[in-house]
Amino acid sequence: MKKFYLLFGAVAAIGIGVVGYNVGSGVLGSAVSEPIELDIADDAELVELAQGVTKGDPDAPVTIVEFGDYQCPGCGSFALSVKPQIDGTFVESGQASFVFYDFPLISIHNNAFLAARAARCAGDQDMFWEYHETLFRNQARWSTATSPAGGFEDYAGELGMDEGEFGSCLNSDKYADVVTANLELGERMGVTGTPTLMVNANNQTRRVNAYDYQSLATAIELVMSEGPGAN
Amino acid sequence: MKDPAVASSADEGPVAPATNRMVITILSLVGFFVASYLWAHNLGLTGPIVCGVGDCSTVQSSEYAMVGPVPVSAIGVLGYLALIVLSFLGLQPRHRQSRLIGGLMLAGSAVGVAFSAYLTYLEAAVIEAWCQYCVVSAILMTLVFLACLPEAGRLKAPNL
Repeated sequence: MKKFYLLFGAVAAIGIGVVGYNVGSGVLGSAVSEPIELDIADDAELVELAQGVTKGDPDAPVTIVEFGDYQCPGCGSFALSVKPQIDGTFVESGQASFVFYDFPLISIHNNAFLAARAARCAGDQDMFWEYHETLFRNQARWSTATSPAGGFEDYAGELGMDEGEFGSCLNSDKYADVVTANLELGERMGVTGTPTLMVNANNQTRRVNAYDYQSLATAIELVMSEGPGAN
Repeated sequence: MKDPAVASSADEGPVAPATNRMVITILSLVGFFVASYLWAHNLGLTGPIVCGVGDCSTVQSSEYAMVGPVPVSAIGVLGYLALIVLSFLGLQPRHRQSRLIGGLMLAGSAVGVAFSAYLTYLEAAVIEAWCQYCVVSAILMTLVFLACLPEAGRLKAPNL
């Protein structure tokens, strides 16, 4: 029995060591998961840094803007149910472009900032929109994770991305400044919740107070019908 | 002061501990850590899953990685833990001839091996991707089941 106990102890020690090391390195990973201090002099600099991600023709007459949070259920519903219709009707036809800005509500959504960075990292491999949808489809799974970075890397692998490159990006501070700038831009524009939708055309901006397809389509048609300088 | 020879004799008991139960304990302990690593990963407590062979990411992010709200890995952790406790108890002098413990281990490992076979089928035919940890766990559970087979003989043996 003594030999058995020794073997049992050795296997237990190795197991605890391996699992403990992996948990420790995961929890203590260096991925930046909250806004950082920005050294920005003026609004112009903020706007330049706070780049949204555009889908469709950037020169389309109408721009649909969303300020969204990957942990927000409404944003998930919009991304998976309404946005595909908007894409099909307005974006793919060249009538409008769609720009997504990050607005992670970090006070209530612990993982939203990291998710926003993850999507930006996916953008490095031209997979932003695929990853964007994947995050929303799996929202219930990663939202409550203590440290969702591992899961985010799994999604990258599932989408056929280079996991090493994605992991290097995620486990760093890359895009922390851009996502923070998105957040600050939204705050300065009066965004308080998500999803916040706006439609821009003819130098006019119309905020859409609902996120169903009909409300957005009506707003797009309205701004398109207004001439330059109207409103 | 306790006589070491007497203490050793009392620890060993009148019936020698069953070797198969020692094997079950060690195999289950290894399985417990394999499942724990996957569970920790499912909980988001680890970094990216280390997968030398196969495509762990696809398997772990598939819908089959969960049974309702419970990760499959958590079921594995609990199953292996139960086998460790039972086999460890079955090694103690007063339980070395316990049919109840033997029966529970045999039934538990049979359920485990059937569940592992189902998961292996899913990997091969439905997900079409392999997770090396799931394969290792399936092999371990099969070995545990084989090591449990002598318990069937004990169940049939007359009471001593």
